[in-house]
Amino acid sequence: MLKASKVHFCIRQRPIVDEVSLELNPGEILAVLGPNGAGKSTFFKILSGEIKCKHGAIGYNGHDIYTLKSRELAEVRAVMPQHTQVNFPFTVQEVVELGLISTKAKDPSKLIREVLEATNTTHLKDQVFNTLSGGEKQRVQLARVLVQIWEAKPFPRYLLLDEPTSSLDIAQQHAVLKILETLKSRNIGILVILHELNLAAQYADKIALLKNGMIAKTGTVEDVLEEEILAHVFDHPIHLIPNPATGGVFVSSAASSHPNIQTFKQA
Amino acid sequence: MISTLSYTKTQSQNLILLGFGFVLGLVLLMSLSMGAFSIPFPQTLAILFDQVGMSLGTFEVQQENVLLQIRMPRVLMAILVGGGLGIAGAALQGMFRNPLVEPGLIGVSSGSALFAVIFMVLVPVTASLAWIKPIGLPLFAFVGGLINVLAVYKLSKSQGRTDAATLILAGVAINALAGALIGLVLFFADDSALRSFTFWSLGDLGGATWSKIPVSLVLIAIPSALLLFNSRQLNALALGEQEAFHMGVNVQGVKLQLLVFSALIVGAGVSMVGMIGFVGLVVPHLIRILFGADHRLVLPGAFLLGAILLNFADLIARIIVIPAEMPIGVITALIGAPFFIWLIFNLNKSKK
Repeated sequence: MLKASKVHFCIRQRPIVDEVSLELNPGEILAVLGPNGAGKSTFFKILSGEIKCKHGAIGYNGHDIYTLKSRELAEVRAVMPQHTQVNFPFTVQEVVELGLISTKAKDPSKLIREVLEATNTTHLKDQVFNTLSGGEKQRVQLARVLVQIWEAKPFPRYLLLDEPTSSLDIAQQHAVLKILETLKSRNIGILVILHELNLAAQYADKIALLKNGMIAKTGTVEDVLEEEILAHVFDHPIHLIPNPATGGVFVSSAASSHPNIQTFKQA
Repeated sequence: MISTLSYTKTQSQNLILLGFGFVLGLVLLMSLSMGAFSIPFPQTLAILFDQVGMSLGTFEVQQENVLLQIRMPRVLMAILVGGGLGIAGAALQGMFRNPLVEPGLIGVSSGSALFAVIFMVLVPVTASLAWIKPIGLPLFAFVGGLINVLAVYKLSKSQGRTDAATLILAGVAINALAGALIGLVLFFADDSALRSFTFWSLGDLGGATWSKIPVSLVLIAIPSALLLFNSRQLNALALGEQEAFHMGVNVQGVKLQLLVFSALIVGAGVSMVGMIGFVGLVVPHLIRILFGADHRLVLPGAFLLGAILLNFADLIARIIVIPAEMPIGVITALIGAPFFIWLIFNLNKSKK
């Protein structure tokens, strides 16, 4: 389990992340949602070990994050930042191989073959990374991140993603989240920051709503997706409409409610 | 199949390095035999093989003396300095994640030069302290290079990324400051020190003697070999420092090693033969353009190609105005500056 307890981070006395507690179990997709400036990215960096929180604790499978060396940490968690620039002409295969830099894989070429397949990037492997389109680059980065935790291990691993679907078109957004879904069966827990509420509604198991550095609400998708809470968190009227395609809800942020639209209320 | 692919890849990397080694051997042979005093190839080979106890033919004692006492240390020094500048340039470019980084451009060389000049002019070397000179000069140069590279790094870094524009600006400022301080130190120097500085500042392999080789070997060859161990980490750093940390790289430790080793190499090189520009810039680029960006190839390749280029430039410097010698810095800049212009031109084009 990835467990954050009362994580606190201040910049000039102003709390950016305010006593946030969260749990992520393997086999689960947890979507972190919230408006701009809610502290999502800072919380994400604390979870990944990039910055240290002032108070509180992060535990990976019961090990305190600050007792783990960067190499040990890399074995239990992989991180996909929002943008990754590659300044030199590396090929796709070389970029993906980098994910294995600190792990001693038994069969590295098999792992690479599998993640390339899983991310549908096998055909790109000899191309130079910088010549790819935005969606292709994102899938290659996903492959690099995945290969780090792909090998079956006796302990659960975790994948943290910061807005992996930003700047992608609709088909690519779903492609990325479908890949994440397949990870659940590999004893991997997934924490993903999303902007698009409907993607969260469709793919997440649990949602954490962040506002002003605090958890506004956390729980299962059905628990969290409520009009009043969402409207409060995002400062914008939000309507939930039954989504016949998924059986879930469709989140509408249309400015005014249309009388003909029947809003979705929970009993 | 990927497995065979990556297998043949390391094979081809080895082949490329072997090819570089072969070219280096040829250049060395040319360099040993050509010059103001020409030694024909058969005699050159005969003298070399005579050293390991094999007799291939006859040669004159004078030929042997020129080859072994004058040309050999010079050629070895060119290998060490050229190779060192090549690999240090590659390592710094990788660490800064910027292809424009070059020891001279970002101020490592001028920092080394400043401290070397301070040592030459201001540290009184009396007879009793004469032993300190062969070690003290390169160590002073190393400290100067390290200070400058740290300063440039701190100045150009913001929010975990090195900004190219600030990097170049910081390099220009540091270079200007070091240049002014060198001028200040030279103000107190006498005429003979001034003259030797002028030649030294343009780069001069003519002063290479056997006595300088052991120190150069320790201060250039060893850090270069240690840099090779960082090639995978450099590959990870190419994605960014945060990404490298996510992948389990001890980023601070690796960066410290890269900075110290590069400053050692450049400092030792500068103190031995003066400032030689553009080798550290051009060489890593040529390798990347020709064979890709994998540092497992770029680092050793940059060493070999740097050694080839500097020996070649030195050969030209020696034979173009016989019996005089052109300063080698002039030759490398004559090759390097147009290449740099071409590089900027292409970088601009690819952005459009």
